[in-house]
Amino acid sequence: MKVHVDPERCQGHTLCAMIAPDVFQLDEVDGHSTAVIDGDLPADLEAKAAEAVRSCPEQAISIL
Amino acid sequence: MSTDADDDRKKNTYHFDRHTPEYREQFEGITAEMLGKCPVAWSDTYGGHWVAAGHHEVFELARSAEYLSNDHDVNNERRGYQGITIPTPESEFQGGFLEMDPPEQRHYRQALNPYLSPAAVNRWLPVVDELVRACLNEKIETGGIDFVDDLANVVPAVLTLAMLGVPLKNWSIYCEAVHASVYTRHDSPEITRVREDQMKMFQDMFGQLSEIRQAPRPGMINALAQAEINGKTPADMELLGVIALVIGGGFDTTTALTAHTLEWLSENPGQRERLSRDRDTLLDSATEEFLRFYTPAPGDGRTISADCEIAGTSFKEGERLWLSWAMSNRDPSVFPDPNEIDLARSGNRHHSFGLGIHRCIGSNVARMVFKRMVTAVLDRMPDFQCDPAGAVHYETIGVIQGMRHLPATFTPGKRVGDGLDETIARMQVICDEQRLAEPVTVHKGAAAITHE
Repeated sequence: MKVHVDPERCQGHTLCAMIAPDVFQLDEVDGHSTAVIDGDLPADLEAKAAEAVRSCPEQAISIL
Repeated sequence: MSTDADDDRKKNTYHFDRHTPEYREQFEGITAEMLGKCPVAWSDTYGGHWVAAGHHEVFELARSAEYLSNDHDVNNERRGYQGITIPTPESEFQGGFLEMDPPEQRHYRQALNPYLSPAAVNRWLPVVDELVRACLNEKIETGGIDFVDDLANVVPAVLTLAMLGVPLKNWSIYCEAVHASVYTRHDSPEITRVREDQMKMFQDMFGQLSEIRQAPRPGMINALAQAEINGKTPADMELLGVIALVIGGGFDTTTALTAHTLEWLSENPGQRERLSRDRDTLLDSATEEFLRFYTPAPGDGRTISADCEIAGTSFKEGERLWLSWAMSNRDPSVFPDPNEIDLARSGNRHHSFGLGIHRCIGSNVARMVFKRMVTAVLDRMPDFQCDPAGAVHYETIGVIQGMRHLPATFTPGKRVGDGLDETIARMQVICDEQRLAEPVTVHKGAAAITHE
């Protein structure tokens, strides 16, 4: 399972990094999110990543 | 002029008046009815406007920036649009970049983001803790506190001024002026005094802007004084609108959220114990749930800027639209048991900070200050009991779902450190010496608290 944050959709709500800090990182200047991990997520992070997807107000995160 | 096509577009009608006390009293019933029957409705109130209540509909609309305008064209230089308030207020004053469209709106946000990002806001955490501690100190030995007057009004106000670069001791010029302007009805005898207080606040604000222009000091006002917005230096009135937006957004909203939360925790002592005990895992989700449920800023107005069809409704250029964050936050298709508070709610994609390009720029400040205030109360006044007879809610929830007073009693405890005035004076020195109000691009470290 891989995650991707659409930079056009993300508005910096920060919920993803709050829920899954090992999966998402926030830009220092505007708080917009990017995935920390390029490849497949370790199995123990998948549930948190899925919860971040469900919690994103902008629906900016997809699971690949 | 009404036509058959118009009648067809506006077939879902609902008499929606969010400025009446009845709307507050019947909020859950009205919300359930609108969500069930007309998630987008045409209302005849305030000259006629659309109301979006459904979660999906609000989501689609709020993110359609190409068809929606926030512009408040006070000098009638563009299309005469009326901004985000329905009805348009009597005073023709542009509400900062929340009443602008890109590119100007984007330029302002880019100027202020480095002061308000999560990394920027976290630097202030030790200062917030000092202010909270001092506020509680003022009351801890008495066994009685008003959570609005003595805590939730004070901390967001002092912090916001610190981040702007305004002297902290000026907080009292701003605090009551902002809150009273929200909760005082325009036909109330109090309104003259409220307007005088607001004038004093704007005079101070203008004085700060002029001072900072002459002798720059760190803070958001400095960023605004130096900003080039779409290739131009903005007029002072425009900058005052931006400063007023930061102040208005920073003060009353966090106060409202904190007061409602403490009131609910008092009424639900089992949940209060659970939140206190399990805060490491529960505080984040509980914060989002209180945000969803109490939606301090209940919605925003827009103007349709081009004919369009969105979420199944045809809109015409120039029509007004109310996006109800508060009602969309109760949509059962997204939130099971929407009228219940579930501290561990998952998938909580609430709309309390808005959506799209106008997402609340202060959301990181709001969350941090709220969490530090609530947990400090849980630690130092764990058995607090709010007095329902003394609690005063805003009469209407059209602008802010807030509270004027929330008195409570608790088992008295001991003071820790100094009181509020001394702490504010000490924080001023720390702000100045450590240049805390610099943008995060210049200064990254958290505040270091010294006691000298």
